[in-house]
Amino acid sequence: MVQAASAAAGYRSLWRQMPLGFRIGALMLLAHLILAVTGPFWAPYGYSQMGTGIPLSGISWRNPLGVDQLGRDVFSRVVHGSPIVIALSLSATFLGLVVGAAIGLFSGYVGGWVDLVIQRLFEALISIPFLVLALIAISAAGVEASGSPVLVVLVVALVYAPRIARIARATAIDIATRDHVTVARLRGETAWSVMRRELLPNASGVLLVEFALRAGYAPVLIGSLGFLGFGMMPPTPEWGLMISENRAMLLVSPVTVLGPGLALASLVVGLNMFTEGLARVLGRTVRLGSQ
Amino acid sequence: MNAPLLQVDGLTIAYRRGEGWVRAVEEVSFSIGAGEVLGLVGESGCGKSTVALQLLGYRHPGLRVEAGSVTIHDQNLTDLPRVELDRIRGRHISYVPQNPTTALNPGMRVGAQVGESLRAHGKAADTDLGALFAQVGLPDDQAFRRRYPHQLSGGQQQRVCIAMALACGPDLVVLDEPTTGLDVTTQVQIVALLADLRARLGMSMLYVTHDLTLLSQLADRVGVMYAGRLVEIAETGSLFRTPRHPYTKGLIASIPQAPGNAGFGTRPLRGLLQRGALPPGCPFTPRCDHARPGCAETVQRLTPAGAAHQTAGWRASQLVHESQVAASEPPRRVPARNETLIEVKGLSVAYGIAAPVVRDVTFTFGIGETLALVGESGSGKSTIARAIAGLLAPVAGEVLLRNAPLAPLVRLRSREVRRQIQLIFQNPDASLNPRARLATTLRRPVEYFFPDEVHHSLQLAQTALDQVRLETAFARRFPDELSGGERQRAAIARALLARPAVLLCDEVLSALDVSVQASILLLLQRLTRESGIAMLFISHDLAVVRLVADRIAVLFRGEIMEIGTADRVFAAPFHPYTHALLRAVPKPLVRLADRARMARAPVGVSPPPGRGCAYAGRCGWKPSQLCHTTMPPWQTAPGGLRIRCHLTPETLSARAAETLPEEIFA
Repeated sequence: MVQAASAAAGYRSLWRQMPLGFRIGALMLLAHLILAVTGPFWAPYGYSQMGTGIPLSGISWRNPLGVDQLGRDVFSRVVHGSPIVIALSLSATFLGLVVGAAIGLFSGYVGGWVDLVIQRLFEALISIPFLVLALIAISAAGVEASGSPVLVVLVVALVYAPRIARIARATAIDIATRDHVTVARLRGETAWSVMRRELLPNASGVLLVEFALRAGYAPVLIGSLGFLGFGMMPPTPEWGLMISENRAMLLVSPVTVLGPGLALASLVVGLNMFTEGLARVLGRTVRLGSQ
Repeated sequence: MNAPLLQVDGLTIAYRRGEGWVRAVEEVSFSIGAGEVLGLVGESGCGKSTVALQLLGYRHPGLRVEAGSVTIHDQNLTDLPRVELDRIRGRHISYVPQNPTTALNPGMRVGAQVGESLRAHGKAADTDLGALFAQVGLPDDQAFRRRYPHQLSGGQQQRVCIAMALACGPDLVVLDEPTTGLDVTTQVQIVALLADLRARLGMSMLYVTHDLTLLSQLADRVGVMYAGRLVEIAETGSLFRTPRHPYTKGLIASIPQAPGNAGFGTRPLRGLLQRGALPPGCPFTPRCDHARPGCAETVQRLTPAGAAHQTAGWRASQLVHESQVAASEPPRRVPARNETLIEVKGLSVAYGIAAPVVRDVTFTFGIGETLALVGESGSGKSTIARAIAGLLAPVAGEVLLRNAPLAPLVRLRSREVRRQIQLIFQNPDASLNPRARLATTLRRPVEYFFPDEVHHSLQLAQTALDQVRLETAFARRFPDELSGGERQRAAIARALLARPAVLLCDEVLSALDVSVQASILLLLQRLTRESGIAMLFISHDLAVVRLVADRIAVLFRGEIMEIGTADRVFAAPFHPYTHALLRAVPKPLVRLADRARMARAPVGVSPPPGRGCAYAGRCGWKPSQLCHTTMPPWQTAPGGLRIRCHLTPETLSARAAETLPEEIFA
């Protein structure tokens, strides 16, 4: 009993030591997660249920975020869209991280012409504006694949992987000069073994921060794709797509765009504040660990 | 010493840690008289630099002064406003930092940098920069002052820093480890310069260092700090001859070249300073051989012990009469030289397309033998080790292991060969993976080299920890939970787990405190003796080398100058460079009377590599122009000692006899 109380006090003091931005961001994220997990169970209407009110009738008690042009309740759609947006963002960023980190660490550790070729390739990819790159990839995938969530995840990962790889490569080059890596090389370890045992654990702080920062921007990217009509297909309640659908009626009923817009903004701001705080906290402990 | 120049009274400084404040310096009091040199000595982390900086009224932003005062010219520096401090700093008290490379602005010409501090005090007009540079032994021409810091050597950079400190003619100069990063020979020159300046200008100095030997040559009085407290302060001679505090005794016993320390006779300090677990009373209690139950509770204050000698140990008066621990030199093992283990033949190594940094180096060493490579930094010692380990491919020559030629690079070598050659690095902080527990790090060589024994790799790791005198519980720790010495032990344990035939030890002691160095050295000596592992011991420190090596090779600019058994290298005839090195080794209590000559050692131009003697430019015994045009031949002296010089061994012996015997450390 006493132990539990002291542990709780320990967590409380840890929480108080965290940067303010981190705490606010964490609370915003927590709210979003609760919404994503429980939302579909208590949302007043289905996401494609029509006739929930007079189309474009604005805010009312029955429809707190208004009704779209097809008579669907915007609040319910935002709630239903939440798990979709979060799942897509996180899985896309994670995929980009795994691919990017693996290639980046390898490229940085091996060096030489392998590194040269990989880096020039990635620079070419990065030089293409990401929306253009995404559109090229989607059109290359063909009409049948269009609108599939897997394609969206792959496209976002494709945009992210080269950027994450560059960070991973820089970190690998830094770590590869340290003596413990030389010891492993002298032992004759393979590149894969050195990456897994020596580089990855020491790069994990940097990569975690990179993941969090990229994840914060992923909803915007997915939203942009949806807005341009290359992401999810209607009637999916993806927030970017919702903004796009109601864009035409913006002058008649601006409030219908407000719901998904606010949801998207609060998720991105929350993620960013959380990750910025995380970077500061981790940055500190990572430095302590390597001293 | 009637009126002290500077008075420090009960200085207590704390730093912020989490929610509270931890004391880094506690109730330190001392004074410095006009023209006096006070030394402050202690292990790293004892707070000596914090005290030194506070003398300039500076402390890190995370620190605060809890009590005490620093008084100079009736002003208390601990609570002066910044504007007032600016007027005192540089003019009355100046500072020479540890690392001149980072202390100088790399984008500014050195003349301008020195001029800056003159301008800050409005003295730019009436000071001659040339004279100032000449004063510290630098060329006084305009061209030199227009150079950038990177165009100077480390010693010259430190001289510029000293010139800057002296610019406004201060009363007190605070020197924070000013020679730690420098070579032995350069170190002697800087210390000689300081002694010379002090004699000419009569200024006071506070000299902070971990090197007690060095202090004994320069300081009038020495204060010993431990865990933020001043435990003993006394006149240098008295401190060395009759140290009262157990810590001081341990510190002196840890010096390899201290009088009477032929080997590790007297007990070096045991254990480590662990700031987290200090008793409220005497901080030294956990490591003290003379501790009594009361020690841990009672704070001990400085009490006078004899004239001008104060100590903080309450048993000090009894300790003087306690019997000295009997000195017993460990029996020197006769090396089994019947089988050659490693043979280096005509090795030349280069970085990229530059001229080779190691040229035509040839030596062998047998099973169980310890060969030391000695030389100043840049002489190619580490490069040779890296070439043997297979990290650098030689441009010429080869390395043989048990008469079989080794592939130039490690990835071309067989697993068995890789296992037999293990490298231990200088810096233990970088050589252990910070994100892996020791158990993981230690089990890896077993997994890799002995896959059959994987099932009991943990026991093997624990046995290795035990071998290097670490607790087996350390296996669960991360490297940042260990001290520097413990990390070096763990790195040695990792090398041992590969069951090597040879250990390449690359300056393994340089990053460690003196007291820790002695214990690591003992450990290496014991391990090589017990297991018959051969060792290539690379060091710049002749005193250390003398204790471990069976044979010694002296290296200069990538070429071997002299090679032979340890006793032969340390006796005449000497190669001129060996002679200079031996004279540069600081000896306790030997003043730098006419070693000032060393400060003006000839620095001439050496012939291009391969065209003459590499040492010709600095040689004081230069016989003729021959040295600049012809490679010197190998001369064989009695006892198999080989010297590369144009002078015959007889001439070299005669030259060595001209120098005073006490000048040579041997």
